[in-house]
Amino acid sequence: MKRWSFLLLILIALTGITAPLLRGADPEMEVAPPFSKPSWLGKETSPTLTVLLDNETLQKRIDWHYEKPRHYKIKGRIQFSGTPQEASLIWETPEKQYILEDLSGYYDIIINLDARDITFKLNLGILPFENAIDTLFPSKGDYGLLLISDVPVGSMELELKLEGDKYGLLGTDQRGRDVFSLFLLGIRVSLIIGISATLIASFIGLSMGLVSGYLGGLTDALIMRGVDVLLSIPILPILMALAAVWGKGLWQLVLILSLFSWMGTARTVRAMTLSLRESCYIEGLKGLGASPLYILYRHLLPETLPLLLANIALGVPGAILAEASISFLGLSDPRVISWGRMLHEAHSFGAFSNGAWWLLIPPGFGIALLCLIFLDIGKYLEELVDPRLKGEKLE
Amino acid sequence: MAFMKNYWIRRILSAFLVLLIILILNFVLFRMMPGDPVSSIIDPKFSPEAKAQLRKVYGLDLPLSGQFLVYARQMLTFNFGISFLTQRPVWEELSSRIPNTVVLLGSVLVLSSVIGTWLGIKAAVRRGTWVERFVLWGGAVSFSFPSFFVQLILLFFLAYLFPLFPLRGTVSIPPPSGGATALADYLWHMCLPVFSLVLLGFGGWALYVRNLMVKEMGEDHILLARAKGLPDRKIIWKHGFRTILPPIITIFLLALPGIVSGAVITETVFSLHGVGRFLLESVTGHDYPAASAAFFLLALLTILSNLLADLAYGLVDPRVRFEKRGRG
Repeated sequence: MKRWSFLLLILIALTGITAPLLRGADPEMEVAPPFSKPSWLGKETSPTLTVLLDNETLQKRIDWHYEKPRHYKIKGRIQFSGTPQEASLIWETPEKQYILEDLSGYYDIIINLDARDITFKLNLGILPFENAIDTLFPSKGDYGLLLISDVPVGSMELELKLEGDKYGLLGTDQRGRDVFSLFLLGIRVSLIIGISATLIASFIGLSMGLVSGYLGGLTDALIMRGVDVLLSIPILPILMALAAVWGKGLWQLVLILSLFSWMGTARTVRAMTLSLRESCYIEGLKGLGASPLYILYRHLLPETLPLLLANIALGVPGAILAEASISFLGLSDPRVISWGRMLHEAHSFGAFSNGAWWLLIPPGFGIALLCLIFLDIGKYLEELVDPRLKGEKLE
Repeated sequence: MAFMKNYWIRRILSAFLVLLIILILNFVLFRMMPGDPVSSIIDPKFSPEAKAQLRKVYGLDLPLSGQFLVYARQMLTFNFGISFLTQRPVWEELSSRIPNTVVLLGSVLVLSSVIGTWLGIKAAVRRGTWVERFVLWGGAVSFSFPSFFVQLILLFFLAYLFPLFPLRGTVSIPPPSGGATALADYLWHMCLPVFSLVLLGFGGWALYVRNLMVKEMGEDHILLARAKGLPDRKIIWKHGFRTILPPIITIFLLALPGIVSGAVITETVFSLHGVGRFLLESVTGHDYPAASAAFFLLALLTILSNLLADLAYGLVDPRVRFEKRGRG
């Protein structure tokens, strides 16, 4: 019954590892206009399409049954095998044919057309302040882009880009990047930071707890006073200051987070060591002349280890949330894509005024899901260590 | 030392100890930052004598311990120096922001503790009802969802899609005139931040109280109270709730730093004119005097509330006043 969280975690981790490999394209690339909607939203919304013409295909048909697109751009280069007497690039609408560019008399030409250009509009026969898209897309139906010429084409690369209002599974952000691939990349950062920060913190907490519990006296008093103080002051402001001083890299963040989250583990381990210290077999070991280091390493450490494992799993959500908070406040490395960073950008760069909820929901639920998974695994491990806890709900 | 046995004196002394550690931390944190207060004013064209003079004015010629004493005195007298960014005294910038943060923190603490405690007790008394399910769900949500995400969603729906609340700020622009309208406007702006923090805070709170209360209601003295035929209300509040009051104050102590951290984020999400957002702005703007002052004030607020809760603990649990060693 508890297996779902393990399975889900493995699945998520695999996705996180393979995501950068699966996506050949750079996630930083602008793929569509900013704030495009997810493509499953609205059948009528215009998609972002790319149509390619080359020397094999001189004609492409487009079945357009959407609203008008936002932008219309053609880029590329045509080389004819001789100088054509008559050649032109033609846009066919269901009603009429438009000559986009008259190529007669050119041997080699670079094409760079944009429907917003005044020359383009004059070429179509409309006024400069009119919208060329209205003319190019009068109705739904069958459209075509074709090249005609009286001499064969030597080499041609032509790309028509229709920029619409929807793209991909989760739309695009304020820079036109694909939100879905950003979301997949975010898994990596959350997992790396969450797990490694907790591991380091647990290590610190374990050593502090063992030493404090076993040695007692002044060492114990000092360490526990330190724990008390660290637990009674707000940590986030310290993290903010440190993130600003030490730089914003991934590993600096891991270090900063782990330096301020070992206190809980230290307390748990200390309590356990205190009770173990008084037990008979430790007394016996002492009597046999075992050194404190030996007792700590060979006997106390293995005893506390299972509990520590549960503690690690339960600590990961805290680290994930702390990383997300730091990134959300804009104090993380802007080149590292994380879920917190995505929410930061959504908050600061106008996701609200564009109604772009798809920039908010995926990273937020991603963080929550990861946290719930680790909480569940932690509960499971705790029950393994202490079967009495079984059956208690969320306590 | 006989007076160390007194609970009140011990708690106050320990608050001072925390304050001292905060001061040291603050000193280390913001002195570690590249550039000292003088290097931002010094022009490369200054003569060495002028530089030395400036260093003397700022106390930078003293040894580190002397510098710390100067620094501590400045902090404790709220003399935070001049902001690098605005070239105005930091205190002037901060003083207008403190009330907002205090109002935010205070109302959130009061509301979430009262609502959380009440719901937790209801959930414990009426097990298996919707109240209990609600509390369990609220607890799970508050443990796993990032606070700023929930706030962004609230902001998106309640301020953008259905503009019931303002999107940002503490006052409308232009600010309304007249006492009553200004107050109403202020409350209207604080509504969503307070509501969101209470929404996030009460769940965990109620969950703790529920667990404590469930355990308490199984105790013998409750059974005795029932056997005496006392009314339910009296059993719950006079016998059950009174006994779990000390641990509830402990929860309050444990939750406090998290709530202050939450306030920093909340002020950023809702663009409130508060100390937390000031801290973020000065940290990102490398305005160290301002950042250190804001950090110090937030820590001071926490220490003060901590001390208050500690004193309340002594009031509700007379045992700790007579013990040789306090808790912790």
